[in-house]
Amino acid sequence: MNERLLGDLSARKRDQGDMRYAPSRALPFLLVFAFLIALAQATLVVQARPQDLVTGAYGMADILRRAWPPDFGRLGKTLWPALETVDIALFGTTVGVLIALPLAILAARNTTPAGPFYAASRGIIALARAVPDLVWALLFVTAVGLGPFPGALAISVHSVGMLGRLFAEVIEDMDMGPVEALTMTGAGRMQIFSHAVVPSVLPSLFGIALYRLDENMRSSLVLGFVGAGGIGFELLTAMNLFQYRTVSLLLLVTFVLVIAAERLSAALRRWID
Amino acid sequence: MTSVLIEARGLVLRYATGRVALEGVSFSASPGELVVILGANGSGKSTILRCIAGILNPTEGCVSVDSREISRLSGRPLREARMAVGMIFQHANLVRRRSVLANVMTGTLGQHRTLATALGRLPRTEMPFALACLDEVGLRELAHQRAGTLSGGQAQRVSVARALAQRPRALLADEPVASLDPEAAEDLMRLLRRLSRDDRIAVLCVLHQPELARRYADRIIGLRCGRIVFDERPSKVRDHDVGALYENLAA
Repeated sequence: MNERLLGDLSARKRDQGDMRYAPSRALPFLLVFAFLIALAQATLVVQARPQDLVTGAYGMADILRRAWPPDFGRLGKTLWPALETVDIALFGTTVGVLIALPLAILAARNTTPAGPFYAASRGIIALARAVPDLVWALLFVTAVGLGPFPGALAISVHSVGMLGRLFAEVIEDMDMGPVEALTMTGAGRMQIFSHAVVPSVLPSLFGIALYRLDENMRSSLVLGFVGAGGIGFELLTAMNLFQYRTVSLLLLVTFVLVIAAERLSAALRRWID
Repeated sequence: MTSVLIEARGLVLRYATGRVALEGVSFSASPGELVVILGANGSGKSTILRCIAGILNPTEGCVSVDSREISRLSGRPLREARMAVGMIFQHANLVRRRSVLANVMTGTLGQHRTLATALGRLPRTEMPFALACLDEVGLRELAHQRAGTLSGGQAQRVSVARALAQRPRALLADEPVASLDPEAAEDLMRLLRRLSRDDRIAVLCVLHQPELARRYADRIIGLRCGRIVFDERPSKVRDHDVGALYENLAA
């Protein structure tokens, strides 16, 4: 009697198990189906028309012909905007790091002094990250006028968002053992922070900051399009004046800058490890 | 062994959940004594250490170290009282990227509360003392090596040196040999015994190995379900008593 009851129960359990298992087998198919539907509507919405590419090919070839050869005579004149672009990235990244670091300490669960600090710093970081740097640049151009400074400000603010979150994650993932050990030696809060937390996380933070510098170089090239200085601004001007040979020169300089920043940042990160 | 260094009287610890971790634990430890606490998981071994270190406050009873009542202190006095108690953990908890010597020197930070040390400087005047602490654990020649390159046994000895650098009257060790190989475990126990004898430090050590306890302890405390079952010299502790600590815990 008892045994039969137990048998019944376990059979019912098995049934329930099967029922729970059944949808998970169908799940991959459902997901693929949902993706296909999403892709179909995306194709419609972006008005993808391959024939436009064909008819546009003539115009494209025309631009390329007019852009060749790059106007190397103007190379000297691109040096200043190029420097501006590099400096916007350098300044913006540095300011970003300086603000992101204290924010990240407040925004990491294991180092934050109190809940309200945690919430506030998380909020600031999320806001700085959610607004794209191009939009920040537009806002700052309106506020402080044309030129490289609004670009540098935009990069700074956006970097605070990107770096703040990554920094906080690094701090949260760190080994808390040394912190516990130093607490027991009677060390103070600041001492624990500077002697246990900082040495453990510094290399990772450096790596992240260097990667950000590389990303910011690319951003600062684009920021000129909204009037925030640098090569982007020159590029926009040349485009509007149909000076395609200048455009091609500027694109070449851009290419060199981006590759150089990427290589330098990668080499420095390797050196830190 | 006249004066008492660590004294626990009637320790009761009840968590908010209603679980009782300690039910009236009393014992003492004197300078120069190595006391080992044995007990199954959940018997309250680590909880006792945490109460003595002032990390946990007992619900009832009190703890005093060097005649200062840890359980009544907080803030700065607590920090100062803590300096008399060095702690060794299951893991060495060293800052892996710093040198062995720098790690040992961080043990002295509590005695050097200056702006410079708060900003990351090490108290340079403590260098000779830190080297002496390393000498004490027999690793002076590794002083300038990175802590991350040490073996488990070496790292644990460096953590002992760091605890010594805070000039403690007592050492608390929470399963210090749990992640060491047998030989390194013997080395560490020998070291702890020597420190207790030579430097007159009271050592309170939680272990999971009864045979290590028998060979190195001056006294063994058996803990079961938050109560002390025996508190004896190793020669008087019978195997049966030790076995009973780990039996029928589900009941």
